[in-house]
Amino acid sequence: MIIIDGVSKSFNGFHAVKDFSLAVGPGEIFGLVGPNGAGKTTTIKMMTGLLSPDKGKILLVNHDIVREPTKAKSVLGYVPDKAFLYEKLTLKEFMFFVSAIHNVSRSGALSRIESLFDTFGIRDMEDELIEGLSRGLRQRLVFCAALVHDPKVLLIDEPFTGLDAFGVRTLGEIMGRLSLKGVSVLLATHSLHLAEDLCHRIGFIRGGTLVSINEKEEIKGMEGGLEGLFMRLGR
Amino acid sequence: MFSLFLRQKILMLRNSFTLGGLMRRLPFILLGAGLWLLLYFGTCRVLSFLRVTGTFGEILSEKLLSLVLSGVAVFLLISTVITSLSSFYLSRDIPFLRARPVETGDILKLKSFESVLLSSWTAALFTMPVFVAYGASYRAPALYYAVSSLSFLLLILIAGGMGMTAAHLLTRVFPAKRSREFLLGLGLLLFLVFYFAIKSSLPEGYASPQEFLKTFTLFKTDAPLFPGYWVTKTLLPAIKGRTPDVLYMTLLFGGSALFLFTADVAGRRLYCRNVEKIGPSWDGRGPLPERSYPRPGVAVFFKDIRVFFRDTGQWPQIFIIGALVAVYIYNFKSMPLRALMGLYPFAKEVLVIVNLFMAGLVLTAMAARFLFTSVSFEGRAFWVIRSAPLSLRRFLWSKFLYGFVPLTAIVTVLVSVTNYLLKVDGPILLLSEGTALLLSVSVSGLGAGLGAVFPKFEYENIASVAVGMGAMTFMLIALGLVTVTLSAGAWGYYTYAAKIRAGGFHTAESIPIALCLLFVLLINAAAFYLPMRVGIKKLRTMQF
Repeated sequence: MIIIDGVSKSFNGFHAVKDFSLAVGPGEIFGLVGPNGAGKTTTIKMMTGLLSPDKGKILLVNHDIVREPTKAKSVLGYVPDKAFLYEKLTLKEFMFFVSAIHNVSRSGALSRIESLFDTFGIRDMEDELIEGLSRGLRQRLVFCAALVHDPKVLLIDEPFTGLDAFGVRTLGEIMGRLSLKGVSVLLATHSLHLAEDLCHRIGFIRGGTLVSINEKEEIKGMEGGLEGLFMRLGR
Repeated sequence: MFSLFLRQKILMLRNSFTLGGLMRRLPFILLGAGLWLLLYFGTCRVLSFLRVTGTFGEILSEKLLSLVLSGVAVFLLISTVITSLSSFYLSRDIPFLRARPVETGDILKLKSFESVLLSSWTAALFTMPVFVAYGASYRAPALYYAVSSLSFLLLILIAGGMGMTAAHLLTRVFPAKRSREFLLGLGLLLFLVFYFAIKSSLPEGYASPQEFLKTFTLFKTDAPLFPGYWVTKTLLPAIKGRTPDVLYMTLLFGGSALFLFTADVAGRRLYCRNVEKIGPSWDGRGPLPERSYPRPGVAVFFKDIRVFFRDTGQWPQIFIIGALVAVYIYNFKSMPLRALMGLYPFAKEVLVIVNLFMAGLVLTAMAARFLFTSVSFEGRAFWVIRSAPLSLRRFLWSKFLYGFVPLTAIVTVLVSVTNYLLKVDGPILLLSEGTALLLSVSVSGLGAGLGAVFPKFEYENIASVAVGMGAMTFMLIALGLVTVTLSAGAWGYYTYAAKIRAGGFHTAESIPIALCLLFVLLINAAAFYLPMRVGIKKLRTMQF
């Protein structure tokens, strides 16, 4: 469950996010779309604790990200838009590290890492250095790292960047499974057709403000679908 | 096409000359100018000392020139190989250049020019005062300056040709990055061998200047196959106003043409294939054993250790520290302790303090490089830490341990070995070891804490973080801490030892000494605790 209540953030007088409120229920996949510089990444960064809101409140499974950051982060999985990793670690070492700092038990981590590597098709390269991975393979690894501790909330910023058709399909299936397990997913993306397929609700953000929220069925009935809505609201 | 590339490089250089940039570089410019003058006046002084002894002095001055040019030639060669590896194979513009409709020959020309220029400008700049000093000492004609400039340019081209050929051949066999780090290590090793060879061949004390001169003449500098020798042989007649030897001039011209040709052939044959095979290399890692799964409390620590040893960019600094420690210990070994003890009764104690101060300098320099940079070492992957349920207190403590353990080990070994060489025992031994340990804790805490206060997550090379404003602030505070700790400790010990030597030490007299020790403990505790506390707070509120 994600609750964002009246959150604002500005940088040197520029309002990146203004009075943003949203609730994403358990098992819901919520898509956040909007033009470049609309405030999608800033919103997600505030939800992860990388940026602190100037005002407002963010609750992840009832834990305030500002007041109880450790508790909030322990239920959170995060996939950033630009995922810089530790280049000199192998994939498995990186996963061991991420699991350990999320307090995952050794036995739990081992089986979970194996299963995630199999799902994302990177098992064969688990002892390779990260520096040798292509962009798409890195993105798969970042997803593994975001899911290794069984998060209750998943925040994804531009999930499809660099992924091939196999990766996109796998990701869609995984999001579906996570939704059935009751995980709240919030994804910010420019891939409108994928957002239209995967998300239960889609919010449109412009100038740091959430200007509309529509149900999937509602959008399908609109002229031009999500792309048409984007063109109308994005102007 | 080559002139187009050259123009772009010149534009980049011109754009980098700003008033702000100049002001930032001003300390280095002044330092360089000081070193230039020091070399000039130093060479003049040595020459005036050597040349008063007539023919014998002339032989010595020739030997000195030959020795300098041999050293410069070796430096140029190693420097060109290292620069060529970076320039031809590791430079960021290589993919850009290779993706354009540019002939390989043009890329080779541009990179050759870049390699030779970058590898030789420092050598040229700092050999110049030696040439000028020789010219001034011999009242050489203008011809000498023209010949010395030309022959030195030819020496640069010979070393450049050899270096570029070696770089292409090395990259054919080893990965470029590995070759570069290996050569940096080799360069340092050669310096150490050279340093210890000269030190061990000179007696520790000279009965007379003649004894020194006699030892100096024993150095063999004649090496007819060595380009440095050809330059010496070309310069010697010119310095006295005679025509330079045609044989050696021919060797210099022929040699430079030959080696530039071999570099060109090696480049044309190997460059494209070498560039294609550049990439991450397999370095013998097997599958990761399951037992290596870290406990949450030490996950960051073990991750840092792994990354540190795999990052070959860190290795040259380890080599440099190793070389410094070796030279440091060797100098203490050759200290005339007995003579000093005869001159001053507290000589040993003074040396212990000097030793501790030197160890403090080493500690500060290492802490600046490895502890101050430890938080920044996360780089742009810091989001992994910040979005994880990891306490930032635990994170910073991991960083402290990562630097504290090796630094304390090095400083303890350094102080213990030098104490042993100085034959230190009794209370001063305990005091010295205790102070070294105390400073290791406080300076490490200061480094880790201030590193968190002034983090820099975006950089080309982690070493650049250790020379920024934050690092300078750390260095100044750490050096102040070392100085105050040692001064207070020295005062306490001197007061105690002087009373003992005077015949008695009363319990009442121990109060100021105890207060002094308490003061030392308090400032060291503050130097550890406060920056760590502020650092944790800064990390908590940081916007990433």
